[in-house]
Amino acid sequence: MRLFKKTGNTMHILCFPDEEVEKGEYLIIKDERARKSMIVQVIDIEFANVPGVMEEILRSSGIEEFVEGEDNDPLDVASHILYIQDARLLICKVHGTIVNGELIPESSWLPSRTHSTIRKIPTESLVKLANIGGSLPIMIGKTRDSFPLAIDARQLDGRLSIITGKKGTGKSHLSKILALGLVDYGATVVILDLNGEYTNLGYSLDGSKNKYYDKIHVLSPGKTFKVTLYQTNLYVIMRTLVYALGLPGTSAREFRRIWKFLEKTGRLTLHDLGEAIQNWKCNQHVKDALYSRYSALVNSGFFTDNMAEATDFEKLLRKTERNGGGIIVIDLSDTSPSDRQIVVEYVLAKIQETLSQWKIRAVFLFAEEAHLYLKETYWDDIVTRMRHFGLFTTFITNQPNTIHENIYRQADNIFLLNFVNEHDLQIISRAARADAETVTSIVRDLPPHHCLLLGKVVKDFPMIVKIRSLDVKTMGQTRFFFTEKREGSNF
Amino acid sequence: MLIGQLHYETTPKYSFLQSLRNVEISKRIVELSLNSMHTIKGRIFKVSNEELANFFIEHMDSEDQLPTKDGMLSALIMPLRAIRDGTPIIGIDVSSIKIGVTDAGVIYAVRGTIVLKINNHYRYIRYGPLPFHITKENIHEIFGELSRDLSLRFNFFSYIDPQIQLCNIIEKWLRAYVSHLVKRSIILWDGSLTAGTPGNPTADLSRMLRIARENSNVVMGISKDTSLKFIRWGMTDLLNGYKPPYLFEIRSASFSHTSSLRLLGRIYVAKLAKGGCAFRLDIDKAIPRDEGIVAVEKLIGNETLYQGYPETLRLAHIYSTFTASDVIGIQRLLIKKYGLKLIAHNNMHRTLFGPYGARLED
Repeated sequence: MRLFKKTGNTMHILCFPDEEVEKGEYLIIKDERARKSMIVQVIDIEFANVPGVMEEILRSSGIEEFVEGEDNDPLDVASHILYIQDARLLICKVHGTIVNGELIPESSWLPSRTHSTIRKIPTESLVKLANIGGSLPIMIGKTRDSFPLAIDARQLDGRLSIITGKKGTGKSHLSKILALGLVDYGATVVILDLNGEYTNLGYSLDGSKNKYYDKIHVLSPGKTFKVTLYQTNLYVIMRTLVYALGLPGTSAREFRRIWKFLEKTGRLTLHDLGEAIQNWKCNQHVKDALYSRYSALVNSGFFTDNMAEATDFEKLLRKTERNGGGIIVIDLSDTSPSDRQIVVEYVLAKIQETLSQWKIRAVFLFAEEAHLYLKETYWDDIVTRMRHFGLFTTFITNQPNTIHENIYRQADNIFLLNFVNEHDLQIISRAARADAETVTSIVRDLPPHHCLLLGKVVKDFPMIVKIRSLDVKTMGQTRFFFTEKREGSNF
Repeated sequence: MLIGQLHYETTPKYSFLQSLRNVEISKRIVELSLNSMHTIKGRIFKVSNEELANFFIEHMDSEDQLPTKDGMLSALIMPLRAIRDGTPIIGIDVSSIKIGVTDAGVIYAVRGTIVLKINNHYRYIRYGPLPFHITKENIHEIFGELSRDLSLRFNFFSYIDPQIQLCNIIEKWLRAYVSHLVKRSIILWDGSLTAGTPGNPTADLSRMLRIARENSNVVMGISKDTSLKFIRWGMTDLLNGYKPPYLFEIRSASFSHTSSLRLLGRIYVAKLAKGGCAFRLDIDKAIPRDEGIVAVEKLIGNETLYQGYPETLRLAHIYSTFTASDVIGIQRLLIKKYGLKLIAHNNMHRTLFGPYGARLED
């Protein structure tokens, strides 16, 4: 390989046919005289712009089919010509410099074209150099050079992460790996499970209970997840009414009065709330607004007056943390869209309340297709305010346009699976943790079940990993009518 | 088409290619090339932008530029009819290029191709590229030995570009051996049958034509363009009104010959296909006129004509012409095999592949 040119932080390196390099691999450009080495990542591979090749192809096109012959080429020049014609140009992005064995984020110098040597850097060496992995490793999978890549759980702590990729590329599978990895280190994880994909995390592939069985708590709203108004303080119910059910300000003020009245009189039940709204002396429009929201709460089946069937979500959070971590799966698969918002609002408000009172340390929230249950105004709140309380979110989506641009910009970690749609690629390229070129070029060609890791988990050295398999009963696969084994449907 | 095989009753149909492959002279040329290259080991090697840039712009053969006397041209239009009898058609072309300069001399590469059309199939044999390191010390030796081996009266002319002379001598070698080895075929040369120019002695050309005739071959020279003028009109433009295929003979009396030039061919302007171009066509003068015309009729009957130009000759040209990547490949070979030290050119934009690519791109 030979250094060709550098423009900004883009390096162009000539690579010859006997040198095997793939997209996503890292190269080290060693300049002995400067006593420095530059680390670059191959983000695209093109044919070298060898002059005359097009003319040659055009000239010979159509000839080869009807002309046979032989070459008397005693010096074997043809092999050299073919060697040149197959030369490739590696488009690389600079990721830092090694000086005295230390990696520094410098890219302003120019290695020598004539004296530099270029070779591939094994992932193992790069991981050591960049200190990726850390003391709390979560094994993600293997890199192209078969290095088992682990990320540091600490890099998910206090961070905002995004997992995105087109349908069927393994997003849920990866989020399961991350969630279980966090549980291994005692973290409390809450999963907003839209399709009921995480409900069997406590079972192995063969159906037997796995080591996580006791740490997985599946809550199905309206069935195994009901709450009483007593457990729901005013702050939580107000958020539910305002954000999930769109209660106007004036009505909200009246509701607050009703709630306080019932609280004071010790009658904070669904039945009494309904009666109080009907009998409350206020504007009829306000009364109607309040009653329609009340009906929505009742019809959701999520609220109950029966203490025996109610779940104390706060208690469950505390218990999970106290028992060394676990996953609370909120199974939203059988919940209607409007009820989904009530449940999610309740859950988030309750988590925030619990966190703000320091009853638990932190919660890792995994939110699948969050646009289906989160109000517009809520995104910024989750990303900015709630992370300060200790709520660290991972958004999982196959529709990257449903996540706001500012979320991409603020994301600390992005796990990208394959996308080919130009529009989707454009959206994900807005992520601040990597340059647009790297993202669009690499992600477009990612094979199934391969992921491009960006951000703090890889210390800003984008890496391609084949996601490892998981001994967990899968629920996230599409149900097919034709039942024969489908290629690539299993990890 | 079985007729082609009739001419090769005792040998396989492509026997002459086999024979050509085995002839001693090809080994001798390779040997000369290799010997010349042994003198470059470890030398400094410099490639030149401008010289190579110019190469890719094809030059017209200077020998085609024959002056005519205004008003003295007698001409005869001869319509042609195609004769499909399976006569083999053979095209020969040679190309050369300057690869670079060493501190002792210049490195050229030569490549020659013979294309044969027989039984509706095209086959080719290509020689080279053969690099030659020509220095002041070895120039006479190389040309001398090549001439001696070819029994040519070839002298090296210091005032003619060695590249042209090297190309000529290899081309002569191919022409001579094809004339010698094939029978009852039409042999197409790129260029005219004009002799008497420096490096192109009349005796050599006459001998080649004679050998070809002895083997019942007809040699034709086809020039891709001609600067022959008739009353200040381009001759190829003059014939636009006639329906092809036809020949338009230019009588030799029409030419104002210089003392040294010898026209060994009967000169025609030929338009061999409808919609095609008109070319200068020289047919061996020693062949009776009628036979020559029949040979052209066999040519148009047995050959594919591309824009009126014979496919065998077009293929020979394509296969022998150097492209920029050929040049880079040869340079790479020289550096790898002979340890030449490439001098970085002062134009940094062109450092990657020497001058060639940059010229085409920039």
